Amino acid sequence: MPLALLYLLAFSAYVWHFATRHPLIGRAATATLLGAVLVHTFQLGMYTMELGLPPMAGSAGAISTFVWMLAVAYLSIEVTTEERAIGVFVTPLLAVLQALVSRGTMPTDIPAYFAGPFVALHVGALLFAYASFALACVIGITYMLLFRELKTRTPGVFFQRLPSLQVLDQMNMRAVTIGWVLLTIGLAGGALWLRDAGVQSANDPRVPMMTATDPKILLAALTWAIYGLQLAFRRWASLTPRRAAWLSTLGFIVVLLNFLPVAYFFARSHNFA
Amino acid sequence: MHLVLVGISHHTAPLALRERIGISRSMVPAVLDRLAGEGCDDAVLLSTCNRTEVYASTTDARRTGECVVQCLTEYRGVDRQSLDAALYVRTDADAARHLFRVAAGLDSLVVGEPEILGQVKDAYKTASDARGTGALINRLFHGAFAIGKRVRSETGLAEGAVSLSYAALTLARKIFGDLSTRHVVVFGAGEMARLCAIHFHGHVASTTIATRRTDRGDALAVEIGGGVTPWASRMDALLDADILVSATGATDVVVELAAMRRVLSARRGRPMFVIDLAVPRDVDPEVAKLEEAFLYNIDDLRGIVDENLAKRQDAVTRAEALVNDEVAAWLAWLRARAVVPTVVALRSRFERVRQAELDRLTPKLTGLGPEARARVDEITRLMVEKLLLTPTEQLKAIDDRETMASCSAALRRLFALDDDGPVSPTDAAAATPKPPRTPGEES
Repeated sequence: MPLALLYLLAFSAYVWHFATRHPLIGRAATATLLGAVLVHTFQLGMYTMELGLPPMAGSAGAISTFVWMLAVAYLSIEVTTEERAIGVFVTPLLAVLQALVSRGTMPTDIPAYFAGPFVALHVGALLFAYASFALACVIGITYMLLFRELKTRTPGVFFQRLPSLQVLDQMNMRAVTIGWVLLTIGLAGGALWLRDAGVQSANDPRVPMMTATDPKILLAALTWAIYGLQLAFRRWASLTPRRAAWLSTLGFIVVLLNFLPVAYFFARSHNFA
Repeated sequence: MHLVLVGISHHTAPLALRERIGISRSMVPAVLDRLAGEGCDDAVLLSTCNRTEVYASTTDARRTGECVVQCLTEYRGVDRQSLDAALYVRTDADAARHLFRVAAGLDSLVVGEPEILGQVKDAYKTASDARGTGALINRLFHGAFAIGKRVRSETGLAEGAVSLSYAALTLARKIFGDLSTRHVVVFGAGEMARLCAIHFHGHVASTTIATRRTDRGDALAVEIGGGVTPWASRMDALLDADILVSATGATDVVVELAAMRRVLSARRGRPMFVIDLAVPRDVDPEVAKLEEAFLYNIDDLRGIVDENLAKRQDAVTRAEALVNDEVAAWLAWLRARAVVPTVVALRSRFERVRQAELDRLTPKLTGLGPEARARVDEITRLMVEKLLLTPTEQLKAIDDRETMASCSAALRRLFALDDDGPVSPTDAAAATPKPPRTPGEES
């Protein structure tokens, strides 16, 4: 819970900065978030030293790692673009998800299915991909908010606070590209693990369920298709930046569906928690 | 020591007089030399298109004010009578408040305009480099820089465009970010089109003019260094353009919905910023419904400008409060300076007593080694420092001039400071750690 409170504190600082745009408050907001990330890094590092692998197994561990990756991805964008306005949209997500983690239990050992080299690649790459998609979703939403103000000729708070549409579009497409590449690597890692699992975990009842009809795998493939089409249409067809922003949001809704309700209630192949 | 301001500005003088009295940057050192020759050797001259002002520190405000006026009239050959009518002279707190308001942009023609702070900094630097500036002027101008920055960051006074052209440029930046790779097409070559083209041209990669009047189009293209395209192929020019400014005198629509749809379709989703400055409108209003087109007409831009002006008015109240705080801080500093002679004399007196006692005790201290004697010297010095610290701070903290003067007089009488003879340079240096006249000194 203290970690969630730290992220909440960072959120408050970003809200304050969004309202006042005082440079000192902006720097304080970044410092608070950086502090939260450092504490989080230390916590995950301790788990990693204890377990021998990052604590990505189980829902709490996976979400906590996801939150950390999202925070790192956001901070890297903030540092490279000197743009803090997006922080007010990202940090509440961090605080809420980290609060969810505190209600669960972090893993205390490494399950047998995590022993293979491809599982860590599969889970790690997918978590980072989802963190990138979360960031793309937030940027996409801010793009649409600013687009709306510009289109309706009523420049308001987002006009004053957000970077240009062009910058938001570039940030969105960069986050989607990184996410899609990692998603591809993650899915390939999963497929390779599955190939070996047929021999190493032949008695595991979940292994036969790992087919294209499994809801979790189906939604992962759908996510890959949505973002892949977004990239392809943006590059080779005339997909407008606004539609790209919509697709980033839609894609992340599918990710959220896969990450939470489907993983909990419908997945037959990935119920590891 | 007093602060005097003598000047004219857009509030008091017409453009013709401001032009005559204005002093270019290269001439400023010569004017400062001339002022110094007249006995005003600690001054800063601020001369912009909207104001010419001299800030000077002096012991005789009236004489310095007269000297500055005389110098300006003679140097620029301006008739004294016409200058007097536009002139303002302010002293001490009023002069400081004026400079702080100027630096904050509160006294500008367009309230909140950002350039004035840089001009104030340049004026100070020029004076500092040319002849050096004293502690009073240094503290004053550093206060002005601080308040200028604070007002802009804390009140939002400089936010928002307050002219049609600047509003259009701000919108373009919000859509495209960096404009240096963007292309502008201008329909028309009238005054409105010309102003907007000039405003945009300095920020974009290229500007192309399309107009029915080829002679005027050519002339405008030459003036801004842009290109020209025939009126008949104007829609083709939009294929590579990012911004369209339309300000023709046509009575019917010159950019139709169907034509614009074709253009945007060929541009494969790239957005276009369309500015319709014409009355009656040049661009079909339905164009606004196309996803890639951001259409703004003259009323939309005017609405933004009006709103920004209203917001600036709200910010003015907060900015004035900040200026008042800065003036109070500056006055407190100035008052504290008034007691410096007393503090110097007091410290000198104590130091002499200390030295006398040490001299008297010298025969008794002969048994001590050099290290121990140095320690005794240090201990007595620290005791004197500590004894004087509180009364010095209390004296400087008095915010009423009369109370300060009476306390100062009491101290002088109680410790017979006026009977001590001249204060030694060493003592003076100990009591006033900063020399009064150093170029660019921080106070």
